[in-house]
Amino acid sequence: MATKEITPTRSVLIELKKRIKLSQSGYKIMKMKRDGLIIEFFEVLEKARKMRAGVTSDYESAMDKIAIARAVEGEIAVKSAAYALKADPQVTVGSKSIMGMMVPKVEATSVHTKMVDKGYGVISTSPYIEEAALAFEKLLDTLIRAAEIETTMKKLLDEIEKTKRRVNALEFKIIPDLKEAERFVKFRLEEMERENTTRLKHLKKKSEAVE
Amino acid sequence: MFRRSGKAGNYAYSVARVKAKKSLLMKEDDYNKMLMMSLPEISRFISETGYQKEMAELAGRIQGIDLVEHATYSNMARVFSSILQASQGELYDMVAAYLEKWDIWNLKVIVRGKSYGVDAESIREDLVPAGSLKTESLEKLISLESEEDVLTSYGKMESVNIPAEAVAEYKATGSLAAVEDFLDRNYYQKLLASIDPSSRPTRLFQDYIRKEIDLLNLQTILKLKAEGIYGEDVVKYIVPGGKQIDRKLATQLANAESLSAAAADLTQLDFYEDIKDALESETNSLRDIVAGLKKYEMKEAKTFSHLYPLSVIPIIDYMIHKENEVNNIRIIARGLESGIALETIKGLLVI
Repeated sequence: MATKEITPTRSVLIELKKRIKLSQSGYKIMKMKRDGLIIEFFEVLEKARKMRAGVTSDYESAMDKIAIARAVEGEIAVKSAAYALKADPQVTVGSKSIMGMMVPKVEATSVHTKMVDKGYGVISTSPYIEEAALAFEKLLDTLIRAAEIETTMKKLLDEIEKTKRRVNALEFKIIPDLKEAERFVKFRLEEMERENTTRLKHLKKKSEAVE
Repeated sequence: MFRRSGKAGNYAYSVARVKAKKSLLMKEDDYNKMLMMSLPEISRFISETGYQKEMAELAGRIQGIDLVEHATYSNMARVFSSILQASQGELYDMVAAYLEKWDIWNLKVIVRGKSYGVDAESIREDLVPAGSLKTESLEKLISLESEEDVLTSYGKMESVNIPAEAVAEYKATGSLAAVEDFLDRNYYQKLLASIDPSSRPTRLFQDYIRKEIDLLNLQTILKLKAEGIYGEDVVKYIVPGGKQIDRKLATQLANAESLSAAAADLTQLDFYEDIKDALESETNSLRDIVAGLKKYEMKEAKTFSHLYPLSVIPIIDYMIHKENEVNNIRIIARGLESGIALETIKGLLVI
């Protein structure tokens, strides 16, 4: 805030004081929010780390099982079973609030379908294909949860960055500028007070000389 | 529906043909050699051991591992068709009934593909015409407009009355489960009915099929148990005609709380020793149990292969071994291509 643009009046001084108070309380709240978000971020980070490990192990297990199913039953049988599948997983994306920040909440239905509901016959279904299907259902479930956590983590990071910038702006720019403006207005008001006093003294002297 | 022709079979001619073919089947050493090869080497090796024609025919359209799979299936289909064409009388009835499983396989490929919207060319590529339905009949099924038409037409071709409620369920829900389960159950009923148990060799064949039904039923029970399904919901999937697992034992097994609890009821069965380790292992993997059952099935086929040289037995024995060879080649090729550990591949092989 350039001091040149400020009109040094009492009302401006009062306004400035109000703004300084508001900025300082805002600064405190933002700082608390930033710290809270950082704590939340580390918790989510830990979850994300576990989830990534889960995704990797589930992926490896699923690929291992599908490779065995393709070897034992053949690509044609695996493809054919996939064509018969009738249940499609449904994903719904909602939202939840973490410290006032909206993060996605991903929910999935029909990820795991029982063998009797899959759409192909039970009697001749290969256990190898069934095991592979189960492993992929588990992987999909983990991926959906991982997607929620990873998005939350990225949103948290963005929010922390934003809050940090705001805190820094308040701490190093806005509050010092306001204080500088307040000091300028105070100084100008005092200066004006002094000028006034001097002027009054001159006037008094002049009137005494005339008398 | 399951009538036998009553005419005597041409056993001597068919068995002589099959014996010559059996000598060309791969031995354990061949599989061990293949385990040490790369995919191009496997392709070349199988080309030199009887699959050359199919490999050359398909090489223009299919490549890599898929070529091995399609060529081996294609070869098996050609061999089985030639055996069926050379058979006569009651032998033809039994072989045709045994090979009907490939007709069912093809029907499933067609109906599932059509219901998913797969184009005719891709469906055609995945067919294995090893059953009694010729390529022209399968072509006709592919060309039909709807899946219901395919089922109706197949029913007429194979003299099978697919229940209207199963077709209605497919129409309503899109699920082929009822149709497929009916076809699988009907296959065994038809196969058992095609065998005249008046002679010792046919009785042996019938016993083999009834044991196969036992293994199939056990797999169904274990698969459903792994999903947490018990009791009557399991029993309804049991295929009648098993040798050792009757309805009472099936119900007992279906009601058992876990695989380990079910193991106690299995001790009395012939194949218990073959799946004992898998049942007792900590992982209790269904995959290991099934692998044990497959090995038992092959062992059973081997035990009767040398008996009754002029009967249906050498022919069925050859077909079992041929199918097993195709499966083993695929397991090795796909296993090596996917980077599966050699020990795991060896465990999957049925030798």
